[in-house]
Amino acid sequence: MNIHLRNADNISIIDCSGDVDLYSSTHLRETLLTALRSGAPGVLVNMTDVGYIDSSGIATLVEGLQLSRETKTRFGLYGLRSNARAVLELAHLHKVFNIFNDEHEALEKISSTEPFGGV
Amino acid sequence: MGGEPYLSIRPMRIVISSDPRLLHVLRGVVRYRAQEAGFGPAEVEYLTLAIDEAVANVMRHAYGNRRDARLALEILTFPDRLEFVVEDTGPKVEPEALRPRALDDVRPGGLGTYFINCCMDAISYDENFAGGNRLRMVKRLPPKTSSRDEYSSQERG
Repeated sequence: MNIHLRNADNISIIDCSGDVDLYSSTHLRETLLTALRSGAPGVLVNMTDVGYIDSSGIATLVEGLQLSRETKTRFGLYGLRSNARAVLELAHLHKVFNIFNDEHEALEKISSTEPFGGV
Repeated sequence: MGGEPYLSIRPMRIVISSDPRLLHVLRGVVRYRAQEAGFGPAEVEYLTLAIDEAVANVMRHAYGNRRDARLALEILTFPDRLEFVVEDTGPKVEPEALRPRALDDVRPGGLGTYFINCCMDAISYDENFAGGNRLRMVKRLPPKTSSRDEYSSQERG
């Protein structure tokens, strides 16, 4: 799995690619928690190239969601493939996260002044 | 193992170290056997998730994240089902730890056993297994109007 942190319009974007499992989720966790503590107004996880996610990956995203509420950071996911979406649905978590289709939509929603779920 | 091993088609037993970097190897094998057995893409992924979670649980809980222990995954293909048996040599797990948690509480951990229970048709923990833990998981094969038959009819057509 590869993880890359970048900035777009003052929003932190974490690009993930590959499988998120017991091994790789620790790397995602470090990057995600660092981004959420950085003071950025919003953090997005780009899951366009994530082909597999297990419970440790889901747990990492839930931990991120909880921290985002503490730090008042807008937090969302985008680009979920059917596999990743199915696992979130299996865990009944697909309505808990802010999920967007693509980066354009995610940046538009996370940067707007309208109320944003999760914060 | 599984009660009638002589009926199993090409049984497979894989022994690996308890290193999470090897999980993707097991996932590849499970996907292959599930596709070969006739499961559709979604079922293949659910099956793969369940076995991945079972093995990850061994790594985390039975071995406490030690990477130098050994665990085994056995895959048995029967005419009506796939059976997966995960064995380790760690301390006995309390059966209570294998029960899935409720989902109404949104918190990070405890989803693994829930996924296993959701994705498999039957799960049994062998309390008499000496020297460790043995978890048996069963998934019944799809009905005969599966993609295999559709593929065969296309070939004939």
